[in-house]
Amino acid sequence: MVWHSCAGQVASRLRCVAPMMSITHPQYRMLVVEDESTALAALKKYFSKQGYRVEYARELEEAEAMIITAKYDVVIADLRLSWSYAVEGLEILRFVRQHSRGTKVVILSAYGTPEIQRSARALGAEAFLQKPTPLPEIADAVKQLLEHA
Amino acid sequence: MTSRTLLQEILSEGGLTVVFQPIMEIDKEKFSIFAMEALSRGPKGSNAERADVMFEYVRRKGKESDVDRACAAAVFKASEALPAGCAISLNVHAATLERDRDWPEFLADVCGRHGLPLNRLILEIVEQQKYTDPERFFQAVDRLRRAGVRVALDDIGLGYSNYRMLIELHPDFFKIDRYFVTGSSQKPNARAAIESIVLLADRLGAQVIAEGIETEEDLNTVRQLGIRMAQGYYLAPPASILNTKQNNQDA
Repeated sequence: MVWHSCAGQVASRLRCVAPMMSITHPQYRMLVVEDESTALAALKKYFSKQGYRVEYARELEEAEAMIITAKYDVVIADLRLSWSYAVEGLEILRFVRQHSRGTKVVILSAYGTPEIQRSARALGAEAFLQKPTPLPEIADAVKQLLEHA
Repeated sequence: MTSRTLLQEILSEGGLTVVFQPIMEIDKEKFSIFAMEALSRGPKGSNAERADVMFEYVRRKGKESDVDRACAAAVFKASEALPAGCAISLNVHAATLERDRDWPEFLADVCGRHGLPLNRLILEIVEQQKYTDPERFFQAVDRLRRAGVRVALDDIGLGYSNYRMLIELHPDFFKIDRYFVTGSSQKPNARAAIESIVLLADRLGAQVIAEGIETEEDLNTVRQLGIRMAQGYYLAPPASILNTKQNNQDA
């Protein structure tokens, strides 16, 4: 489990246990759920280079359709996918728990209140990372989760 | 900047493309095209290019009717290039028939605009969820039938395409899902299920179409079980209208 609201502390601790990702790992299938184009493009590019098979969704229903028609090793979901105060990331987490056994879920959020973090924990999220978290730190967290699957 | 939603992309001009897959009729050793099933695909490069993702997404959005209308319009436009007289099989969600009160009129109108007689149309009902208003659903089906449309029930044997639906809908065609058909030569239990569906169709006066024919063994198995109509990659993969026309000319 990776539970942090302070990205710097997370990174230093994760680096102790997780060396830089090599592309010799099995090709993990990843779904990135993010409505913000720049962030989505960055995540896709970074994790593709790391050797992941990266797919994406921009909306809650699109993510659900992807999850129900394919099996992902890991889902990285933004907490908020719309302008409102919705927390679609938690909906996705709930959906994964119901429909995709074994899939790891990482929630990214710029709005990670303690209450939301508690909800994510209760729903079974493997990691909750505050935005902005540098991509290598997200990758370290993902790698750690997958290696301990 | 707010980008367009996937639904907006699907419903935009040119957002849908159509491919056709023949349903073959087999009479002894002679194969002929019985109908062309029209299969809609979402925008190129999007997740909706995969039909399973597109329709799952559309169902979750509760927009089956809007997308079924857009698919029908795209299909009939593409169908203009098919040989005259060729039956066209069009997929429609049961939810659309239930909730879209004007669907029969819409269908008649769009067929008319493309010069397609309704008796060339087979409506393939995709039953993904339990209907909540059966009366409206069956009224819509009756109106279409009176206009000459034939009805097929998709995914027979799975989900809500069950005995009750078969009895109440009384479809002209039973489409047996690939789950039972593909690899059936090696699956005695699947063959038993197919056999029971063939018997039921016979008793109810319907014809059976086997989906998911991927090998010669699949084809031989369903033929031995008395099925005379089949569809699948072994017989013909889905193709765009241009490829379909070329194949017809080459045949």
